[in-house]
This record gives sequence, C-alpha cells and structure tokens, in this order.
Amino acid sequence: MICVFSVCQVPVVEGKSVQQTVDLLHKKLEQLGAVKQQGSFSVDCETYHATATASGQPSKLLYVMHNSETPLSCMALFEGGPCLVADANFDVLMVKLKSHFQNAKGHKVECRGSKYRYSDFIIRVGTVTMSSSARGISVEVEYCPCVVPGDCWNLIKEFMQSFLGPSVPELPSVFAAKPEGLFVQADCIDTMTQYLELFNKLRKLQMPGGNVRV
Amino acid sequence: MADAVNVGVNLDAFSHAISGVHALRSSVTRVFECLRDGLKYRDSIETREKQFLHEFQEHLQAVNRDLNELERLSGLVGRPSESHPLHNSGLLSLDPVQDKTPLYSQLLQAYKWSNKLQFHAGLASSLLNQQSLKRSANQMGASAKRRPKVQPSTLVLPPQYVDDVISRIGRMFPDLSIELFRPNGTSAVLLVTLGKVLKAVVVMRSLFIDRTIVRGFNENHYSQDGKLDIWTKSQYQVFQKVTDHATTALLHYQLPQMPDVVVRSFMTWLRSYVKLFQSPCQRCGRFLQEGLPPTWRDFRTLEAFHDTCRM
Repeated sequence: MICVFSVCQVPVVEGKSVQQTVDLLHKKLEQLGAVKQQGSFSVDCETYHATATASGQPSKLLYVMHNSETPLSCMALFEGGPCLVADANFDVLMVKLKSHFQNAKGHKVECRGSKYRYSDFIIRVGTVTMSSSARGISVEVEYCPCVVPGDCWNLIKEFMQSFLGPSVPELPSVFAAKPEGLFVQADCIDTMTQYLELFNKLRKLQMPGGNVRV
Repeated sequence: MADAVNVGVNLDAFSHAISGVHALRSSVTRVFECLRDGLKYRDSIETREKQFLHEFQEHLQAVNRDLNELERLSGLVGRPSESHPLHNSGLLSLDPVQDKTPLYSQLLQAYKWSNKLQFHAGLASSLLNQQSLKRSANQMGASAKRRPKVQPSTLVLPPQYVDDVISRIGRMFPDLSIELFRPNGTSAVLLVTLGKVLKAVVVMRSLFIDRTIVRGFNENHYSQDGKLDIWTKSQYQVFQKVTDHATTALLHYQLPQMPDVVVRSFMTWLRSYVKLFQSPCQRCGRFLQEGLPPTWRDFRTLEAFHDTCRM
C-alpha cells in the first residue's frame, strides 16, 4: 500500500554509544504513547560496480536494496539514475551477470531495528551497520493515510519534532526533485532512495578520503 | 417493599431499645462479677458481709430498673406488619441453598437494575426530545387513522431525478467526483472521491442521505465479490474520526422538504476535507493532537479544528 515515508538520520548523542541513543529514542517514543510492534525491520544495500566501460568513463555504481516491509521485491538503483523494482529472484540474476557487475563485498550496508506504532504513524528506528560496526542511526516515519508527500510534510515534521527535538531536516530531496512536483503519489522507490542517500552519507562520514569507490 | 415493613416500626424507639438491651446486659454482668469477686477485704467480718450484701442489692436493683426500661421501650417499638409484602417472590427466599441457587438475591439485583435503567432512560428521552432529530416530514403521534396512507412525496422520487441531481452536484466542484451505483434495488450508493485525500461511500434513500463511511485514498473500497463495500470501517484512525464527523454532519444538515439542498450542503462540507493533512487547527495552531490532524470542520464556516479543540 502506498504511503508517505520520510527517512532521516539522527546524530548520536554526545558521550553515548549508538545503542544507548537508540534506547533513548525508544524511551521517548514510549513516553509519547507509541506501542512497540512485534518483530523487527531490516533494510540492506549491496553495491555493484559495472566493469570496464569502453569510453573510460568512471563506472557507474548499482545498488541493490531489499526491504523487509516488501519481502518479495528487490530494488535496483543507479545513483541519480534510473531505478527498477523487481522480484526477489533478481539477486540470482545479479549472480549470473557477474561478468558485467562486480559485487563490492566490503560495502554491504545494513539497517536493522524495531518498529513502533502511534495512531496512524509507524516509526522505524534502526541502527546502520557496515561490516558489523555500527555507523549511525536512522529513523523512518511512515504516515499511512496520506499518499501525497506535499500534503502531509508539515504534519510529519511536527510529529518528528515531538520526539526528535527541534532539529529536523527539511523535505527529502527525493520528493522535491520529482519533475511532477510534490503533489504526485509517493512510491516505494522514494523510500529506498532516501535510505540510499542516508547510507551514502554515513559511508562518507567514516572514510577520510570521501571517495566511495573501492 | 421496605416501607411496608417499617410502617409499624418506630425506628427511633427501636434504637433506644437496643441500647436498653446493652444496658441490661452490662448490669447483669456486673451482678455476676460481684458474686465472683466475693467478699472484699475489710477489718471485720461483719463489715465485709454488710458491704457485700449492700453491693449485691444495688446491682440487682440496677438490673430491675434496666429490665423495666426495656419493657417500656419494647412496647413503643411496635410490630412489623403481618401481611407478607414480598408476595410470591419472597417465597424464593425461604429455603435458599445460597451457593447453588442464589435466585432471590439475583432477582433483587435484576429488579434494582431494571428500575435504574427505566429511570435513566426516562431522563435520556426527555433530554433527546429537546432537539428534534427527525429527518422525514411525517408527523409523529398522529393516530393510525389520521396518518396519511401515502408516503410523503420526497421519499418516492424517480431514480432518473436522483441521478440528475447527483450528477449536477458532482459537476459543482472540480476536485470532487461522484460515482453512482445501485447495487441493491432503487437506493443509490455514491462513491465520492475527493482529490487524492479520501473516498467516501454514501448510502442514500431516494434523495436523503442515510449513512456514510469515509476511507483513505489507498484503501480497498470493494468487497470480495466485487461490490462496493459499505460496511467495513477504515483502518486508519483519522478516517474513522472523519466518518463520525460525517455522520454528525448528515444529521445536522436537515431540510425535509428540499433534500437536494441538503445533499449540496453536505457535499460542500465534505469538500472542505481536501486539505485534511495540510491545514493546522484554527484554535491551537498545531497540526497534530494525539496523532490526529484537525478532523472537525465547522458546519457554518468550514474551518478546521481538532476534535478536542472545537468550540
């Protein structure tokens, strides 16, 4: 079902570890009145790079992402480029395409955490890990009744401010960058794009060179 | 029932009589205590015996006084009426096996409960009658002979006329579209789509609006056999609230003689929900209250309020 999602990164509190900040967020949510849902969610992303293009251009990176909320699908995105929603068997296809796309094994990013429900909002607080070291925290807020992001952005922002504090990021660029504007229906690709931006940001934070390529 | 028992009983004298019994008991106890204690130590035997006899006599006289007092009071108390006030139901209380057949106590509770219910229902009906909620033009209370045999004209309208009115209203607003179905006989069922915000199912009875259910844009409005689902509530709290408000609205907008004006006003009111997620509450200025956006729309000014903020 199409809903509006917003993903943002929460900075780790000074002097506390990632796990402690996550616990703090959980407590704030519970104080607000949110109810913890059964089970957990996970989003992961694998990086592939296209081998040897003839014209010597830098090879494009292909990201293949999975989301536990849509377990039968697999999303493939080029950074800033076309994207594809496919069946879960797409992973097998990628293995077959080994000669064209190489898997960058050390670059797998995973985000795992628990879900909370508050009225019509679903909040997913996750810890982003890369090669089993925790790199950051992601908070995803889903407002289910609305399908158009432009309508309810203020609502979502107010809700996020109630438990994240006054510093909340602006409208995700993925919505603003759409050619049809803010008032077109949201998509599951939009969510994945937001996660991808988050992962890339966290990846760049840790690597001193700032260069994502292997 | 309690009054019938008390009519012959003087409660005041009854309580005095009970304290008289207490007094009698204590004086009799004192007599026996005195006997138990026996002779007290004094200088000579005669003094001891004299004192003992004196005390004993005093106590016996006290007993006598108390007994006389009690007899006087018991005369004042009177008798409970002999006739059995409980009639047949009281016979249930005569030989109870309380654990297995607590019939009498349950009967009493049921009776008290039904009395209270009748009392509250009377209060409620007097309050509700103050505001007339009738939507048809029939006169209530007319006897069967005088009641018109034929139904009022607004209730029997040709379906073609209803279709025309609805399609005209559907063209009034650009972001509101109405689809008309007739799944069950001549009653129309409308599927009203408002922008990308909500879809409402409105069940009509000729041109009167009977019920409405509001659901989200992305929800399923059809039941499993492909027909329009008119019963399932929305899965979102915000639309459940809007459904309640819509039901209030269709009771508010009433004009039995001109039902098309009513439908027009209702649709105008419903259209104000096109900015359901965008408008802040006019009273508190916030978007969210307990996780819900402002779901109430004022009937006259169409301003947005939270359900808890509305005047």
